Amino acid sequence: MFHYTVHTSLDVVEEKISGVGKALADQRELYLGLLYPTEDYKVYGYVTNSKVKFVIVVDSSNTSLRDNEIRSMFRKLHNSFTDVMCNPFYNPGDPIQSKAFDSIVSTMMVQAC
Amino acid sequence: MTILFPSLAKRDSVTNRGHSNSELFTLTYGALVTQLCKDYENDEEVNKQLDKMGYNIGVRLIEDFLARSSVGRCHDFRETADVIAKVAFKMYLGITPSVTNWSPAGDEFSLILESNPLVDFVELPDNHSNLVYSSLLCGVLRGALEMVQMAVDVRFAQDTLRGDNVTEIRMKFIKRIEENLPAGDE
Repeated sequence: MFHYTVHTSLDVVEEKISGVGKALADQRELYLGLLYPTEDYKVYGYVTNSKVKFVIVVDSSNTSLRDNEIRSMFRKLHNSFTDVMCNPFYNPGDPIQSKAFDSIVSTMMVQAC
Repeated sequence: MTILFPSLAKRDSVTNRGHSNSELFTLTYGALVTQLCKDYENDEEVNKQLDKMGYNIGVRLIEDFLARSSVGRCHDFRETADVIAKVAFKMYLGITPSVTNWSPAGDEFSLILESNPLVDFVELPDNHSNLVYSSLLCGVLRGALEMVQMAVDVRFAQDTLRGDNVTEIRMKFIKRIEENLPAGDE
């Protein structure tokens, strides 16, 4: 069910990154912020310089999560993703099966609730 | 591979030792191992190849080590163990394993590695459960010691990649090599 929300959000991400003409290199511009609100969820986006996209979907009823917390979640995701990429047995494009990655994501999700 | 290089230089990685090329080294070793896996399709064979490569490195590396460390001839195997752990590992891998589990006869000991730069970021997939990823190290130690007239057997007794808490290399002294054979490539 989340897949639909996430897929739609990818379109919004594409829109945002193609709209920006100037070259942006710093961390702030990797974070795209709230992509669009729906009735039930808030969807946040983040894209790397290599066009890898991260999407976080948060329940609308969670009002305590602040912007800088979301940013820090994306930063952790980005770092964990880089560790996965550095595993020589991981082929880019494959689904991520790394236990280390899973445990970081789970911990982050638990902390966010 | 554009994302891998230090635009993420500020990563909070516990493995960041401040060497600008340690990630390159780790990734190079990883590429080597995975290529061998593709070429041989058999974990045992890959282990053997890594050990062989390590041996070829070891017989050469010993010269560099002796020149740079000005360590004298070791009088016994215990001294050898200390030099390996405190000088050699520190010099080449930036880590200092501890020396433990001496056999009663004093001819066998363990090196316990809390961390291992070769395996940073590595997670073994399920289909490579027999792969001893760091086998290169066994060959290096064996080859290096052979050049100083010591025949040893080196193997991994524990491996964090295969679920153990620490990585343990077990080294056994076999015999002193009397004849001065030229360094043979395996």
